[in-house]
Amino acid sequence: MELAWDWRLARVYDGENQIVDECIWSGNQSISATVKRLKILKQGHLTEEARTLLERNPEIKPIPITSVEDWPPLSPSETELLQKCSLILAEQEVIEAASEPDYRLEHLVRAVEESRITANNLESQLVEWVGMFLPSLDINEQRTTITEAVQKTSDFQELAAHLNCEIKAEVNPNECASIRAMSEQIALMNSTANTIEQAMQKLARSHLPSLSKLLGPSIAAKLCVSAHGRSRLARLPAGTIQVLGAEKSFFSHIQKGTKPPKHGHIFQHTWISRSPKSMRGSIARMLAAKAAIAVRTDCYGGEPWGDKQLAEVEQKVGAIRSRKRRR
Amino acid sequence: MERFALEKGEGDSLQFFSDRVRIEGRSLWSRNALKGVSLRGERLKREGRKEWRQWNPRTSKIAAGLLKSKQESLLPESGGTCLYLGSGHGTTISHLHDHVCGAKNHLGGTIIAVDISPRCIRDVIRLSSSRPGILPVLADCRDLESVSPFLNSKVPWIFQDVSQSNQVELFIKTCERFLSNGGTALLSLKSASERESSGAFAHAENTLTEAGFTLVERIDLAGWEEKHMLFHVVK
Repeated sequence: MELAWDWRLARVYDGENQIVDECIWSGNQSISATVKRLKILKQGHLTEEARTLLERNPEIKPIPITSVEDWPPLSPSETELLQKCSLILAEQEVIEAASEPDYRLEHLVRAVEESRITANNLESQLVEWVGMFLPSLDINEQRTTITEAVQKTSDFQELAAHLNCEIKAEVNPNECASIRAMSEQIALMNSTANTIEQAMQKLARSHLPSLSKLLGPSIAAKLCVSAHGRSRLARLPAGTIQVLGAEKSFFSHIQKGTKPPKHGHIFQHTWISRSPKSMRGSIARMLAAKAAIAVRTDCYGGEPWGDKQLAEVEQKVGAIRSRKRRR
Repeated sequence: MERFALEKGEGDSLQFFSDRVRIEGRSLWSRNALKGVSLRGERLKREGRKEWRQWNPRTSKIAAGLLKSKQESLLPESGGTCLYLGSGHGTTISHLHDHVCGAKNHLGGTIIAVDISPRCIRDVIRLSSSRPGILPVLADCRDLESVSPFLNSKVPWIFQDVSQSNQVELFIKTCERFLSNGGTALLSLKSASERESSGAFAHAENTLTEAGFTLVERIDLAGWEEKHMLFHVVK
C-alpha cells in the first residue's frame, strides 16, 4: 500500500492504484495556513492528513504524487492560492537568508576590503600630489603622516612648516582646496573601514568562536567567505583551507606547473608572516589542520576553543621553529 | 508546434515559433506581456496594438537555442506548466512568461522558477509580482522533495541550467520524477563545469540515451555562449 500527499489532501492507494483511504484538509484554506503547509512539505515532512492516514495504516510506503495517475488537479482558485503562497513563502525565505551570518559576513568582508583599497589608492594619489609641490619632502618616510598633516593645516605654507620642508612652488588656492577635500575623504574612508571591520570581527567572533580564537576574527571571516559559508568550510580538508585565498597561484600551479602556494589567507597570521621563509610552509600546514578542527567545532556545536587550546597550538609553532632552526 | 515562415515586405523575413515568439531577420522577439516595461533595457517595438520585446541570445540560452536550432520549436505550449531549474535573475523567465502566460496570465500558464540563491530569487519575486503565473521557489534543485510541493502533477516541459558537476545525472533524476510522458526537456551544459571537460558532451549524450530519452537535437550555442551545449530530449 502506498501513501501520497500534497498540501490539500492525502490518499492511500493499494497495489492496483485504487483509492483505499483518503483524508482531505478540512481547515480554513487561508494564505498563512497554506504557506505553513508548503513549508512543512518542502522540508520533506508529513502533513496532518498524511500523519492521520499513516497512523490508521502503519505499513504504507510513501510515494510522490507525481507517480500517481489520477491525482486530483488544482481548481482555478487553488492554483491562484498556490501561486500567492509560493510567492509569500519565497519572500519569507529570502528574508530569513538575510539574517544568516554567512551572507552577512560576506558583505562585511567585501566592504572592508573595498574601503581599504579605496583609502589606499586615494592616499597614494594624494601623497604624489603633495610631493609634486614640496620637492624636498621625503614622501617615502613621511607617507603615513602626510594625509593627517594636510587635514590639520589650512594652506601650503602651514603644511610645509608642519612637515619641516620648504615651499617654493606656487599653489593655486583651488587646487589647495581640492587636496584638502581629498584628505578629508581619505580620513572618512579609513574610519568607515574601521567601523565595518569592528562589526565584521564581532560577527566572526560569535559565528566562528574557535576559529577566531585560533587565527583572529579577520582571517576567520575571510576564510569563511572564501569557502562560501561556514558549513562548507567545515567540510573542506585542511590542505584546501591552507591555500584558500591563494586561488591564483594555485590554479597557475595546476595549469602551468608553477610552484604550489604554501599559504592563502592564513599567511596574514603573524605566526606565518613573521616566520622565516623556510618555516612558513610547515607552520601553515599545521595551522591549517588546526583551523579545520576549529571550524568543525564551531559548525557542529562543539565547545568553543579557549586559551588552553591556543597555548597548545602556540607550543607547536614554537616546536616547529626550533626544529627548523637547528637544521 | 510547426515553425513556419512568412515573407513580409522586402527581404525582411519573419519566422514564427508561435503567435508570441518570432524571429525577425536575425533577432528574436517575444510579445511583451507587460506593455511598456523593458526588464533589462531590451528594445521594445510597437506594432499596432501589439508590443514586441527583443530576446537577447547572449543573456538567455533558450533564445540562443531557438536561433541556432534546426529542428522543431523547443518552446513549451502556451498555457502549459513549465519547470525551470536554475532561474537566475529571471531574464529568460520573463520571456518565457510572455509566451506561456501572456498579459495578466490570460493563457493560464504556470512557470515554476527554482533557484538556490536568495539574491536571484529576490529578483524573480519582484518579477512575479508584476507577472502572475510565475512561482518563485528558493530551493536546492538537487533536493527534489523541496521542489515537489509546488507541482501538482508531472509537467510537459523542463529546463535545467544549474552549474553542478553531476548535472546530467540530476537532469535524468528530475525528468524521471517530474516530466510527463512525451514531454520536452532541455539541458544546458557547460563543458567547463564537468570534471572531464573534453569528452563531456559525448558522455552526456550517451548517458541521456541510455536513460531512455530520445535526443531530438544537440544545439551548440557557440557564437552566443562558448562551450555550451543545449540538449533537447523527449521522454
